[in-house]
Amino acid sequence: MNAKKEVLIQTHGLCKSFGDHQVLKDISKTICQGEVLAIVGPSGSGKSTFLRTLNLLERPSSGRIVFEGTDITDKSVDIDKMRQKIGMVFQHFNLFPNHTILDNIMLAPVVSKLMTKEQAREKAEALLERVGLTDKANVYPSRLSGGQKQRIAIVRALAMNPDVMLFDEPTSALDPEMVGEVLELMQGLAKEGMTMAVVTHEMGFAKEVANRVLFMDEGQIEEDREPEGFFGNPSHPRLKDFLSKVL
Amino acid sequence: MNEWIQKFHQNFIEGDRFLFLLKGLGNTLIIAAFAVLLGIVLGFLVAIIRASYDREGKFKFLNAICKIYITVIRGTPVLVQLLILYYIIMSSMNNKILTAVLAFGLNSAAYVSEIMRSGIMSIDVGQFEAGRSLGLSYSAVMRHIILPQAVKNVLPALANEFIVLLKETSVSGYIGLMDLTRGGDIIRSTTYEAILPLLAVAAIYLVIVMCLSYAVGVLERRLRTSER
Repeated sequence: MNAKKEVLIQTHGLCKSFGDHQVLKDISKTICQGEVLAIVGPSGSGKSTFLRTLNLLERPSSGRIVFEGTDITDKSVDIDKMRQKIGMVFQHFNLFPNHTILDNIMLAPVVSKLMTKEQAREKAEALLERVGLTDKANVYPSRLSGGQKQRIAIVRALAMNPDVMLFDEPTSALDPEMVGEVLELMQGLAKEGMTMAVVTHEMGFAKEVANRVLFMDEGQIEEDREPEGFFGNPSHPRLKDFLSKVL
Repeated sequence: MNEWIQKFHQNFIEGDRFLFLLKGLGNTLIIAAFAVLLGIVLGFLVAIIRASYDREGKFKFLNAICKIYITVIRGTPVLVQLLILYYIIMSSMNNKILTAVLAFGLNSAAYVSEIMRSGIMSIDVGQFEAGRSLGLSYSAVMRHIILPQAVKNVLPALANEFIVLLKETSVSGYIGLMDLTRGGDIIRSTTYEAILPLLAVAAIYLVIVMCLSYAVGVLERRLRTSER
C-alpha cells in the first residue's frame, strides 16, 4: 500500500450476526483517502451489510471501525457528527417524498446547523446545476425518473461535504437506460478524488473507475486487488466461478 | 300540519326550551374539542414511544407502561371509564366538564396512538436510514421526515376516530352533565314528546359530523397535491 495515502476508514475484526446467521466474519480492511473501492460478490455474501456497518446503520456484533482516527463503535461517540462526514446512497434512492427536490438537498445541512438557509440553498443550486436538474428544484420526487432520483440522492449526500461516499447498489433499481447517467456522475466524483466504496453489480464500473476491487463471499473478503489483476488473473476459485457468471 | 307547528312551538319555543339544546351543544363541542386536543397530544407521545421501541428498542420501560394503558383503555367501555373518573378518581373536584374532557381525551389517546403508530411503522425504513445517514438525529428524522408522512397516511383513520369521539360524548349525561343528548332528553321529559327533540338532537350531530368530514376531505386533498 502506498505509504503517502492517508487512512480514512479502518475496520478491525468486524463481525455481524443476524440471529444464528453470521453475515460478516472477522473483516479487517483499510480504506485510504481518494480510493475508489468496488465491492462485488454473489447476493447474500454480506457486501451490503459490510457497507452499512461503515456508517453504523448496522451495528457490528464485534470489532471496531475507526473513521478519521475516531472509533465510531464507541458508544460515547456522537454518531450523527460522524455520519455528517460519511455520505450514503441507497439502492432505492430514499428521497423524502414530502419535500421538494431543493428541500431534500437543503434539509440535512440546515437542520444539523452546518449551514444557514442561504448557504444551503446556494450549495443545493450549484449541485443541481452540476447534475443538470436545476429545473426540478421545486418539484417533488414523485415527478422524477429513477435516474434523476438517484442523481438527486447523490448530490443530497454531497451537500454535507462528506469525506467519503458509500454506495449501496446505486444502479440496481434503475431501468437499463438510466444506469449510464448515474455511473457518469459517480465517475466524475471519482475523478475529483472523492473516496468511495461502491457495492455494485456493474463490472464495467469496477473495471474502469475503481482502483481496488473487493470480492466478498460468505461474509469474508476473499480478494482485494487492483482491477487489472482482479479481472485478468483471478486466483480464488469462487471468484473465478463468480466472474464466469457475471461477465 | 298545524299540529306539527304546534308541537314544534311547544318543544322548542315555549319556555325557551331550545336553550337546552343550545347549551347542550355548547358543552358537547367544548368537551369534544378539548378531548380531541388531549387525545392528539397524548396519543402522539404514546405512538412515538411505542414506535421507537418497535424500531430501535428505545424506551423499554415507558413502552411497557404505554402498552398497559392502551390495553386497559381499549378493554373497558368509555362509559365505565367516565363513571370511575367522576365517582372515584375525581370525586372531590365535582367539575363535570373537566372530568368528561379527561375521560374522553384519555380514551381517545389510546386509539389515536395505535393509529399513529401504524402510520409511523408504515413509512419505509429507508426513509429513517436516509435521514440518519445524513447525520440527522433520531428526533430530527421523526420531526422532518417521518411524522409528516405518517400523519398524512393516517388522516382518514384519525378523522374517523374524532367523529367517533364526538358521538361518544353523548354518554356524558350519566354524570349529570348537560350535553346535547341530555339537553334533548330534558325537553322530552318535560313535554312528553319524543319525536321532535330526539330528531333535532340527531340532526345536529349529523350536521357537525358532515362538516367535519368535509373539512377533512379538503385537508386530505390539499396534502395529497402537495407531493406532486
